Amino acid sequence: MIKKIKASRSEKIIFVFIILLATFSFGSFLLIKDKCLFVKSYDPKKIKFDNPKNIAILNVPCGNVIIELYPKISPNGVKRFVSLINTKAYDDIAFHRVIKNTLVQAGDLEFGKKGNIDYGKIGTGKSGLGTINSEVDAPFNFDKGSVALARTQKYNTEDSQFFIVLRDEPLYETEYTPIGKVIYGLKALEKIKYLDKSQYVLRPDFINSIRMLIN
Amino acid sequence: MNIIRIIILSLFIFTQSQADTIYNLIKIPNLEIYEINTSNKLRYLYAKQPFTIGVDNNINCFNPEKKVLDEKYKIIQKNLNRYNQKFLKKINLKYIVLCEDLSISNINTAGIPDNVMKTLILDIRFDEKYFERVIHHEVFHIINDSYKEVFNEKVWSNFNVKNFRYAECSTCTDKLGLNTYSDTEGFFTEYSQSTASEDMAEVFSHLMIGSDLSNNDPILDKKIQFIKKNLLKIDKNFVYD
Repeated sequence: MIKKIKASRSEKIIFVFIILLATFSFGSFLLIKDKCLFVKSYDPKKIKFDNPKNIAILNVPCGNVIIELYPKISPNGVKRFVSLINTKAYDDIAFHRVIKNTLVQAGDLEFGKKGNIDYGKIGTGKSGLGTINSEVDAPFNFDKGSVALARTQKYNTEDSQFFIVLRDEPLYETEYTPIGKVIYGLKALEKIKYLDKSQYVLRPDFINSIRMLIN
Repeated sequence: MNIIRIIILSLFIFTQSQADTIYNLIKIPNLEIYEINTSNKLRYLYAKQPFTIGVDNNINCFNPEKKVLDEKYKIIQKNLNRYNQKFLKKINLKYIVLCEDLSISNINTAGIPDNVMKTLILDIRFDEKYFERVIHHEVFHIINDSYKEVFNEKVWSNFNVKNFRYAECSTCTDKLGLNTYSDTEGFFTEYSQSTASEDMAEVFSHLMIGSDLSNNDPILDKKIQFIKKNLLKIDKNFVYD
């Protein structure tokens, strides 16, 4: 006959403590892994916009980023951006250059496509549509959330790459072609993958899609 | 005490990140914004710490003293305000870097222009006597570098007397005097005789500061007309007053 041994009170406490600890550890692991946990994703259908035809929705791993475009400030820049949106050219394109709390850059259609990334050339790719002239003369406040076209060291070399600043960058005024501003969802961009030691990201995050609110 | 530490730390963090933006734009480290809200959109930056740049790190400059910086900024801004935004865009000048004891290959210099990076580095401790003039002298180098084809050095050299030859480079000669001659004989200063481009810059800078040009010097007259005529090709509204 097996003698039944009753757990002492202190053993019960330790057992409960271990269960709680395991639950907490497992829960924390899941919570910490989900970088988007506290990021609000905005539903553009639930927001009323003053200029709905100038609204672009950038979908990234942590949700929607809603951008208002400014065709009056940079007509050619916005035209190029919208034409690439309409052909879904930005879908699955990497955020290849990311500087923590400073900026995220994407739009290399040639070397930044998911499944076909060329780390040796990323950032130098072209759209095939040619370059456009810089539009930097209109006054523009380059504050947090501003969206602009990237270029080489020279003006008039804008193509498909764009960047979004995550902090105020007053020196960018008259330097880069502004095309719009993030009006909702900047937090989702702050969660885009970055590296501490390099601006260029290995195994980067990707744009899921960019769509105009009204086609 | 902790609050003070946090404030100091946050200032440090802000300073560092801002400096990165400047470095990304013009590839000069250790700079801070001095003034960017200017009428002609020039961005004035200053050296927060000494910096070294250039081929073989041959360009050096040091952080200026705040009091001197504030004084000299007024003079520099007054002079550079004479160039409007449109003109500055045409010549590719946007960033003015203020520092002290600027040198290139251990030779002290008033300024280093770089039209590709849209930058002019100025030594705010440069000789007071010539300070305002050298600002325009350096601006001319930016103009010249952006419009090499307009300021043809062969045509310019032909204005001089037959047996005159410029040196190979501005530092390949000991003709460095900046005093304006009373008897010009084709050149405003000794330094004018170093190279064609320095000669042009000297003529331009004398025009800009309103030097007495009634000198009955036919060579210098040709040079003045050359500068005036060609600047109008870049900006038909350019004025020297």
